[in-house]
Amino acid sequence: MDVIFGLIPGMILLGLAGVLIFFWAVRNGQYEDMEGPAHRILNDDDMDKMGGPERKP
Amino acid sequence: MSSDKPNVVCHHCGLPATGAAACEGVVAGGLQRFCCSGCLEVCRVIHDSGLDSFYTRLRTQENTLAPPPDAPSDLDQYDLEEVQHEFVSQLPDGRRSAHLLVEGIHCAACVWLIEKALNNLPGVTRAEVNLARQRLLLEWQPQQVALSAVLRRLAALGYAAVPFDPEVAEGQVQRSNRRLLFRMGFAGFGAMNMMWISIALYAGTFSGIEAEYKQFFHWVGFAIATPVLFYSGGPFLTSGWRGLMLRHLTMDLPIAIGALTTYLYSLWRTLHGGGEVYFDVVTTFIFVILVGRYLEAMARRNAASAALHLMELQPRTALRLDASGQEERIAVRKLAAGDHVLVRPGDKIPADGRVIAGDSHVNEAMLTGESQPLHKTLQARVSAGTVNGEGVLKIQVEQAGSDTVLARIIHLVEVAQGSKARVQRLADRIVPWFVVVTLLLAAATFLFWMRFDFDTALMASTAVLIITCPCALGMSTPMSIVVSTGVAARAGVLIRNGEALEGLSRITHVVFDKTGTLTEGNMRVSRIQVCDTTLDEAQLLTLAGGLERHFTHPLARAIAQEAESRGLHFPAAEQLRAYGGLGVCGTIDGEPLWLGNARLLAQAGVAIPEEIHALRQQVESSMGVAVMLAGRGRVLGAICLEDQLRDGARVLLDSLRAQGMGITILTGDSSRAALHLQQQLGEMRVAAELLPEDKAREIEALQHQGECVLMLGDGVNDAPALARADVSIAMESGTDVSMECSDVVLMGSDLRKLPYAIEIGRQALRTIRQNLLLSLAYNVILIPVAMAAWVTPVLAAIAMPLSSLLVIGNAILIRQRMRRFAETQKVG
Repeated sequence: MDVIFGLIPGMILLGLAGVLIFFWAVRNGQYEDMEGPAHRILNDDDMDKMGGPERKP
Repeated sequence: MSSDKPNVVCHHCGLPATGAAACEGVVAGGLQRFCCSGCLEVCRVIHDSGLDSFYTRLRTQENTLAPPPDAPSDLDQYDLEEVQHEFVSQLPDGRRSAHLLVEGIHCAACVWLIEKALNNLPGVTRAEVNLARQRLLLEWQPQQVALSAVLRRLAALGYAAVPFDPEVAEGQVQRSNRRLLFRMGFAGFGAMNMMWISIALYAGTFSGIEAEYKQFFHWVGFAIATPVLFYSGGPFLTSGWRGLMLRHLTMDLPIAIGALTTYLYSLWRTLHGGGEVYFDVVTTFIFVILVGRYLEAMARRNAASAALHLMELQPRTALRLDASGQEERIAVRKLAAGDHVLVRPGDKIPADGRVIAGDSHVNEAMLTGESQPLHKTLQARVSAGTVNGEGVLKIQVEQAGSDTVLARIIHLVEVAQGSKARVQRLADRIVPWFVVVTLLLAAATFLFWMRFDFDTALMASTAVLIITCPCALGMSTPMSIVVSTGVAARAGVLIRNGEALEGLSRITHVVFDKTGTLTEGNMRVSRIQVCDTTLDEAQLLTLAGGLERHFTHPLARAIAQEAESRGLHFPAAEQLRAYGGLGVCGTIDGEPLWLGNARLLAQAGVAIPEEIHALRQQVESSMGVAVMLAGRGRVLGAICLEDQLRDGARVLLDSLRAQGMGITILTGDSSRAALHLQQQLGEMRVAAELLPEDKAREIEALQHQGECVLMLGDGVNDAPALARADVSIAMESGTDVSMECSDVVLMGSDLRKLPYAIEIGRQALRTIRQNLLLSLAYNVILIPVAMAAWVTPVLAAIAMPLSSLLVIGNAILIRQRMRRFAETQKVG
């Protein structure tokens, strides 16, 4: 059972890493726009390459 | 030609393309219809940039676009170094970066279009749209592209953009919200990790645990709880302490006492190596309270931006004329009294002054709320921020900078916002009693048990402090506000300031602005009088519409719109001419026609018959306008235009009166118009011919009489009054400034939503009251248990979340209650 003396501080360190990532994300503006990126990922440029030439007369 | 294709929709925006402004154009090799030439232009630009797939993207969204706003004419001013200095930041590699506020972004397709179109411009190195906040981050090479070119590109695509400095606009608020988010995130991390420790300790309580491990878990709990208490809970500790010093007890004090005693007791237990610890309670408690605070902060308005929007009304540059008559573009703050400035058509007037040459119509709607442009001739006074119409004006500056009417309004708003007493919260009034009683009970418990042994005394008295858990008390207000705000938003009542909800239920006097709030704020055809037997109403309107459809004057638009809404076809008019301040003339089917006021008819040599004269006087006494159509040497008829009352205005006033509320109407119009309104709407107080500062003073006077004042307004001139009132409501169709100054915005400018807004305020207050009672009832039951020293960790773990859940559950019930209210409204 002595293993928990190492595991629990390890767990807290991992959690702290998560907190640091969260702080970085907030400071980096990751939560500024909660809507745009969800749509932007669907807007790839393949659509233009495939659709472009056909539409032009 | 238009009404035979009733289902035609605009190729660009999807709105019906059947109005008078509808047009056709060849785009991408095919003939398309558009609702207006603006949409056609935008569509051409999009096609020419090779971005046609915008439309494919758009159709996958449910949104439709709106027709593009008029392109501003003064974009060049943004290229001036002095002006850019205010909002542009210089990047180390010579590029520049600016934040733009973009109007008209609806959906992801807009984001795509703007980013694509701007990134294709040579010299633009970064264009990033924030969809949620309608912002654009722009970086560009100043040597390759001018900022005005970028803005013009945006305008061509149908988006209006204004540069702004985010630091000035919302730096303060955003930074404090961000700090709150950090604190909440950290407390969340602590609470979640603490849960493992708690589970281990609970399991240990039931099935036995070796003292060595138990001690270890206690120390781990201490390690997590310490930073959570002092970092995440720091603001509660400092604000509680400050409140204690100033003898002003707020909600923060019981929170601080609760958290601190729990923490110190647990620390003492840990050091002495025995008993139970409550570190988990400390962290969870702080986390939950922070979640409530964060949600509440999101529902709070950003007070700074009202002044910012007002500043935007002022142009940034002016064309100054030097002694030799040379034009020179300078920054507006360099203008001084006595300078001569030139104002081109469509430009904003840069300073207060007098006209010394030229004449033109000036739209003062943003200052006075008056929708009709005023004719300004020699020696007429003009105000900064108002918009010049068709003519060129030369103006002698009398007041510039901080002395203009606009600047005075900005100042008034700032003063009113600063001096406005915050709505005193119900919870804040209870808190001092709560704190005193809890402390007394804890002391009594300690003294009682001291007679037996110190350990039990300490345990029981801290249990009193811990179990009184201000958690439910602290959550009762934020939860009610968050739920009510959400429910209201879905019903079209946008609550910008959650704190105003409690104020709404205390209102005793309602003050309305007249133009734009009680009335629609623009002229509509109210009556048509025909005095030629060969014509009927429709024919008269057709002729008038044919003459007016190409003009942009508000009266012309109103007449054309009326004809359109009746489905009339316009005849082609030729030789059209407008006479400023008089009317228009033109020929239809070879017959010359005049349409305008009495002065135009006098010039045309047409006598006005008695019946029309009487009608004119009657209409003008109610602030309406009668436009007369003349042809064949006599008057054919008259069209009366009036600013009409909004739907439901009368019913609303009656129901407010029935509830015993006082009603006052404020207006900048003449007292004659006010009197007319009083006759229409029944008993009320009316104050007419008011300046913006007078409106604020009226509100203050009412407040001195002990009334709790609700103000509804829509114009910039209402802004000081809105800021002054206890609770203020703006119309969606109103100016941005009025919305920024207000606590609530009625979407769709529907006055009938006002009772809903008042009701949701009442429901919110009732729920807050019930929640406070619930948490007090909880305390009444559990404090005796704690005083008897019966509290075990398991009991605490079950009882404390239960009280919070009760409070949250009750707040969610607001949704049901409001649904029931909406149903009774519909039936009634």
